[in-house]
Amino acid sequence: MAFELMELTLRGLFLGVTIGLLALPISLIFITTDSVDLAVGSYAVLAAAVALLVGGLSGVLAGVAAAVGASIIVGIIALRLNRPGRQDPIVVVLATFGAATFLESFILSVYGKDPIVRRPFEALWEIFGVRISPQVGINLAVGVLILGALSVMLYGTPFGRAMRASAVNPVGASLAGVPVRAIWFATYVLGGLLAGVAGILILNTTGMDYSSGLNFTLGAFGASILFGLKSPLRGFVGGVGMGLVQAWSAGYLPGAWATAVPLAFIFLVLSMGRMSRATVAGGRA
Amino acid sequence: MKNPVPKTQRPTVLLIVVIVFVTPLIKHNAFWIDNSVLFAIFSLFALSVGMSYGQAGILSIATGAFAAIGGFSTAIVTTRYGLSSYLGLLLAIAAPAVLAYPTARIVTRLSPLPLSIATLVLSSIIEIAIREGGDFTGGYIGLSGIPPISIAPTPFSMHILAWACVAFVLFCYCNLMESAFGRAINTVRHDSLRALADGVDVPSVLASFFAISAAVAGLGGWLYAHNLSYLGPDSLDVSVSMQVLLMAIVGGARRPLGPVIGASLLLLIVSELPAAETQGMVFGGALVLILLVAPQGLIGGKLPSLWRRQAGPKAPKREDASKVSLVALEAGEPS
Repeated sequence: MAFELMELTLRGLFLGVTIGLLALPISLIFITTDSVDLAVGSYAVLAAAVALLVGGLSGVLAGVAAAVGASIIVGIIALRLNRPGRQDPIVVVLATFGAATFLESFILSVYGKDPIVRRPFEALWEIFGVRISPQVGINLAVGVLILGALSVMLYGTPFGRAMRASAVNPVGASLAGVPVRAIWFATYVLGGLLAGVAGILILNTTGMDYSSGLNFTLGAFGASILFGLKSPLRGFVGGVGMGLVQAWSAGYLPGAWATAVPLAFIFLVLSMGRMSRATVAGGRA
Repeated sequence: MKNPVPKTQRPTVLLIVVIVFVTPLIKHNAFWIDNSVLFAIFSLFALSVGMSYGQAGILSIATGAFAAIGGFSTAIVTTRYGLSSYLGLLLAIAAPAVLAYPTARIVTRLSPLPLSIATLVLSSIIEIAIREGGDFTGGYIGLSGIPPISIAPTPFSMHILAWACVAFVLFCYCNLMESAFGRAINTVRHDSLRALADGVDVPSVLASFFAISAAVAGLGGWLYAHNLSYLGPDSLDVSVSMQVLLMAIVGGARRPLGPVIGASLLLLIVSELPAAETQGMVFGGALVLILLVAPQGLIGGKLPSLWRRQAGPKAPKREDASKVSLVALEAGEPS
C-alpha cells in the first residue's frame, strides 16, 4: 500500500510538472491581459503532432515553432478584439475557443486519430524501487529552468514590471509609456512557446491524441486557479497539485471516474468562490 | 393603421412564414426533409444558448449535456420501461431544468470566465456519468430502438413537429423577454449591482432563467432521440455544445431569431463539406471571423456596422443624445 501510494505520488509529481508548464501561460496571459487563452492546450498538441511527423531534433524545433506560429495568429486576433480601455475578456475567450476548435479539427484532418506519443528512452531509472523513464528527469529540469527564468523575468526585469503594469491598469500603463499592446502580444507568443515546450515533454512521457487539447487547457486552468490566478509561480505549484490529484484518482478509481474526479475537483475549486464576481477585477465586464 | 402583428412576435411570425414557404419546396426531397429536422433540433439547442448567453450573459458550454439528459430521459423510459414518449417529453424537459437550477445557483456567483469553465467541466462530468451508467444508460454502446413519436411517424411529420416546437419556443421566448422577468434578466446581464438595487433577486432570477434554457435544450434532446432512434454517449457531447454556441454567436445571440439563423446557416455549410474532420475548422473559423467582423452576430447590429470599425461612433452619439435631452429638460422646466 505504502509503496503504491509513493509510486502514484511520484508519478503525480512528474505529471504535475507538465501541467504546471501549461498553467504558466494561462496565468501569465491572465495577469497581463485579464483574459484567458483557451487554445493553450491545442498549441501543445500541435507541437507534439508536428514533432512526431517531422521527427528528430528538427522535429522538436518545428513543433515548438508551429505552436509559436499558432499563438502569433491567436495573439493578433486577440489584439484586434481587445484594446486598452476597451476590454471584453469574454469575447477574447470565445475567439481563442474558436481557435482551439479550429486547431483540433486541423490536427484531426492532418494527423488522424492515432495516439500522439513516443518513447525516447528504452532504459528506465529506478527511484526508491519505482521504475521511471529518464524523460521525467528532463521534464523536471526543463520545468524548473523555465519557472526560474520566468520568475526572474517577471519580478526582476523592467520588461516584467511593464508586463504586470499592463495587467493592473492598461490605460495608466500606456499613458506612462508602456507599449501595452506590444506586451500583450508578446505574452500570447510567450504562451505559445511555453505550451509548445510542454507539448514536446508530454509527447515523450504520457502522450495524447488529437482531442486532448481542451483537456490540457482545463487541467491547466484548474491548476492555475488552485492557488490563485494572479501569480504564475503559484500556478506552477497548482499544476503539481493537479498532477497529484490525477495520478491518485487514476490509481485508485475505476475507469472513466479517474478522469471525472480531477474535473470535479476543478469544479469544486471554482465553486469555492476564489473567482467570484467580487474578487476578480473583470467581474463587471 | 395598427400593425396586426405585435412587435414582440415578429421573429416568430417571420419564422413561420419562412417555414410555410420552404416546406412545399422540400416536401418530396427526403435528404432535405431529414436535414430540416436536424436544423430545427439544433435551432432549439442554439436558442437555449441564445437565452442563457445572449440574454442572461451566462456563457454555458453545458447545452449538449442538458440536451443529452433530455434525450436519455426519454430514451430510458421508452426503451427500458416501454412507457409513452409523451411522458418522456415531460421528463426530458423537467430533468435538465431540475439539474440546471442548483448548478446555476453555484456558478452564477462566478465571474464570466470561470463560469464558462465550470459549465464545461460539468458537462464533461455528465458525459462521463452517461458513459459509466452501465445498462441503465447503455454505457459505451448507447441506447438504440427508441420508438418514433406517435403523432410524427414519418420524416415529413417530424419536420412539421420539430419546427412547430421551434416556433413555440420562439413565441414563449419573445413573450418572456417582454415581461418584467425578461427585463430583470437583461438588467442583470448589463449590471447585476444595478439589478440588485432595483430589487431583483439576482441569483434566483438567473438560476430560473438558466433552468428554462436547459429545458429548451432538453426539448431538443427529446426530438433528437426520437428522430434518430439511437442515442450514444458521444451523440450530444461537449463538441455539440461548442457547435451550438458558435451557431448562436454567429447568428446573433442577443436577437431571438439569431440562433435559429446561425444554426441553419452553419449546418447548411457543413452539409456541403466533403469530410467530417474539417467541421471544426469551419465552426472555429466562422466564430473567429464573426467576432472580428460583426461581434453582435449576423443579425445583431444594423447592416452598416458590418463594415464599420469596431470602436464605432455609437457610444458618444448616445451620450450626446442624453445630453441634448437633459439640456432640453433643463430649458423646458422653468418656463
